[in-house]
This record gives sequence, C-alpha cells and structure tokens, in this order.
Amino acid sequence: MKSASNSLRRARPLLGTFVEIAVSGGRPAEMNAAIDDAFAAIAEVHRLMSFHEPASDLSRLNSHAWPAAIAVHPWTYQVLELALDLHHRSAGAFDITVASALQALGLLPRAADGVAPPPAAGGAIELCADCHVCIHHPGLTLDLGGIAKGFAVDRAMDALRCHGMPRALVNAGGDMAAFGQDKPVAVHIRDPRNPLAVLYRSAIANEAMATSGGRIDPMRVAGSAGSAVIEPRSGQPVCAIAGATVRAPTCVVADALTKIVMIMGEGSTALLAEYHASAMFIAADGTVQATGNWPETVHLAA
Amino acid sequence: MTEWLRWTAPPAIVLSLASPVYAEQYLTVEQAQKLAFPSATQFVWSPVVYRPDQVAAIEKLSGEKVMSRGEQVWKAQNDNQFLGFFLVDYVIGKHLVIDYAVALDLNGSVKQVEILEYRESYGGEVANPDWLAQFKGKAVHDPLDMERSIRNISGATLSSHHVTEGIKRVLAIYEVCLK
Repeated sequence: MKSASNSLRRARPLLGTFVEIAVSGGRPAEMNAAIDDAFAAIAEVHRLMSFHEPASDLSRLNSHAWPAAIAVHPWTYQVLELALDLHHRSAGAFDITVASALQALGLLPRAADGVAPPPAAGGAIELCADCHVCIHHPGLTLDLGGIAKGFAVDRAMDALRCHGMPRALVNAGGDMAAFGQDKPVAVHIRDPRNPLAVLYRSAIANEAMATSGGRIDPMRVAGSAGSAVIEPRSGQPVCAIAGATVRAPTCVVADALTKIVMIMGEGSTALLAEYHASAMFIAADGTVQATGNWPETVHLAA
Repeated sequence: MTEWLRWTAPPAIVLSLASPVYAEQYLTVEQAQKLAFPSATQFVWSPVVYRPDQVAAIEKLSGEKVMSRGEQVWKAQNDNQFLGFFLVDYVIGKHLVIDYAVALDLNGSVKQVEILEYRESYGGEVANPDWLAQFKGKAVHDPLDMERSIRNISGATLSSHHVTEGIKRVLAIYEVCLK
C-alpha cells in the first residue's frame, strides 16, 4: 500500500507466523478487498485446523471423533484426505499422528488429562461420507501443523484469483505461492543451520514453494534452532537433514512434501515425481542436493 | 528425475544479503486507519499517558509487561458518531521490532490487526535504549532502504507470538484507560 505504483503489500499475524500478501495490477480498492478476503480465508483455515483452539475442527477430532464419527468442514476433510494419501504413498513417513512426539519434545501442549497417546496407526483415521471423520483409536492425537499452512496459502490464492487480481504473492512464514508474474519473483531461503543467514537464492512464478527446517523464534531464545520434523518410526526429530525446500503446483503439497524429503532424503524421488514437485535439501554436514528437475542452477549465497 | 545433484555449502555462511536487516514497511498509520474504519470521516488523536496505578492494572490484567509510558490512540468517528478505537503498538524481541495497529469496535473487541512495519535486526543494538529511541514517533514514516531489504524469505518461521501477547496488552489498555 506504500508504493506509488499500483501494488499493495500487507501483513497480519496468522497461523502463528506473519502472513504477507502482495498484489499488483488492480485498482487500490479492489486490491484491498481481495487482500481482505485472502486474509479471511487464511483466518478460517487457522480457526478450523489450529491445535491450540479448543473449538477448532482439529480439537474436536482429537476429543470427540472416537468412537463415533463427527462432521468437519469440507476444507478440514480435504486436508485429511491429502494427509492420508501422502501417508500411504510415503510408506508412513508423512504422519499427522506424531503429535505425541511433538508433545514429548515440548513443541505442542499436552492434553489436560496428560495421557500419552498411542503411537501412529495408518488405518486409525477413517474418512466417511458427508465430511464425517471417525478415529478408531482412543487417545490418538492429530496435528495438521505439517500441512495446514500450505493449504491456507492455497485458499488465499483462490480468493485473490476470484477477485481477478492479475499478480499476487502469498508468503505464510516461508510457505509461499505466486501467480501472474511476468518474471520469477526472487526468494531467499534461510540456512537452517544458521537461520539468520541466507543459504541460497531462488525464484518462483505460477507455483508454490515451501521450506522446512531449523525453527527460529527471533523474539525468544537465541540458538533455539532444531528440527520440528519427527521421524515417525523413532519418534525423534530428524537430524540428518537440516532443511528442505520443495516446489510444487500447490502449496499444500509443497508444505507436506518438505516433511517427507526431510525424513526420506533421496528416497523421496518417486513421490516428488508423482506430485510434479522438485526439491532441494541441505544435510547437517553442509551437503546440498537438488532433484534433477530443480529448475535452476543453485546459487549458493556464499 | 533419476538422480540428485550435489553441492557442498560452506559450514558458516555469512553474506551481505542477510545484513544488516530484513525490513518491510506495509502500511502507514493513515492507510491502516482507513482500512479498519472505511466509513470514518476523521480520526481524533487521543493518546494515553499512563498513571502508575494504570501501569500496574494493565500488567495485572494482561500478564504482559508495559514497555512504554503511554499508547498511541485515535478515536474513529463518522462526523460526531463514535465508531471505535484505533491503537498503534509495538513489540520488541531479540531480533525483531514490529509496529502493528489494532482496531477495536464499540464493544472493545478486536476488529482488525495489521502489521505496519517489521524490522529484523541481528546485532546487540536492540538492547540499547538509545537505539530504540530512534524509532519512537517516526517509525511508521521512516523511509527504509527498500533496495537493500530482502523480501520473500522462505525457511525458518518467524513467530508471531509476541504480537499475540501485545494484543492482550492492548485489550487491557482499553479496559483500564479507554472504556
């Protein structure tokens, strides 16, 4: 909203991070209305899929979807469908039931009763007709933290397209997507081993990109970097791979695939191809690897 | 896509791209006011300066520390009809300074939150009150060197935790000083 040209950039605190939306090529009032609707879509995803909000679909699933199915919003259902599909195709590497491991590490709050949920079970979540979901395992705790943010970016992009915005970019704390650009938009990817530095430059146009890796909360503890991605079989944080970036046609797929790449490394090749995605990751020892279809030469920022 | 390409990154990468700050200016106060209260015809500057007992009350109510001696407050009005309050607050962390605006409706509930400006800083200067002082009053209009700022950062997520805490404080300011 600051620049003299017909472009706008606004940011709001949502999804536990800062969501930035930039549009250009429209009239100011239209661009503001489009951004308002895009933020509203993201807020709706936040409301439905937050682990922390007691009234969210996710919290209701965690407390009430056993033994009888409960109805959820079509968006929640859609995310669960993709999550289960990815779970099967990745032979269990992608797992939305690792909440107990995150709770053990202090990354998610524990349930009030303090009962430790059982380990993951692939068939424990059943998607029934009419957006109903049933959990066949009492105490199983779901967490959509590895996929909901990307989904929110996609819904924001839908809203911006609906408003006829010629060009837009949404960045939800590193999960981003862009459309309409004449030339690719530069993206800087942080070094997961030292999140205050930039590891490499990339660019996106008409696609999505997501990055997972070292956590940083610059407002709290220095040196708190550490992976929040859990290897489901061990229940421990991934440590061989420090960070992964995935480009895909949609942000929900890019977001979820970053977790799979961090867990499977080179073993994720076939799955990436199935989803028309490309990936790059940096191992803890500094080795950077990219899939053969990564669209550009890697510009290491050194 | 049969094989992966491989490079080796230096163990510690420090480069000009990342320094000195990642900064972004989104909205001016005036722009944020218009977005929050489109029907308002004027915004009446009504700043609050805390009495000591108010500081204590705000801290007790919100559980958050009061960091300044007062708050920037405007009353949104349509002619003489009162529409709500508009407050500009800021939060500071080790690596981050954020100015944000909160619009409150007639009942004092949050109508809208927008980030005005956002600066990451990686030096020790944030702990220095003189360094902080430079942002007082001019933060929003201070022209930033946009050419040097880095946009579209992917990777390690910045937490909005402190803004969430700041909003709790803003609501307590409303209860104690504005209601």
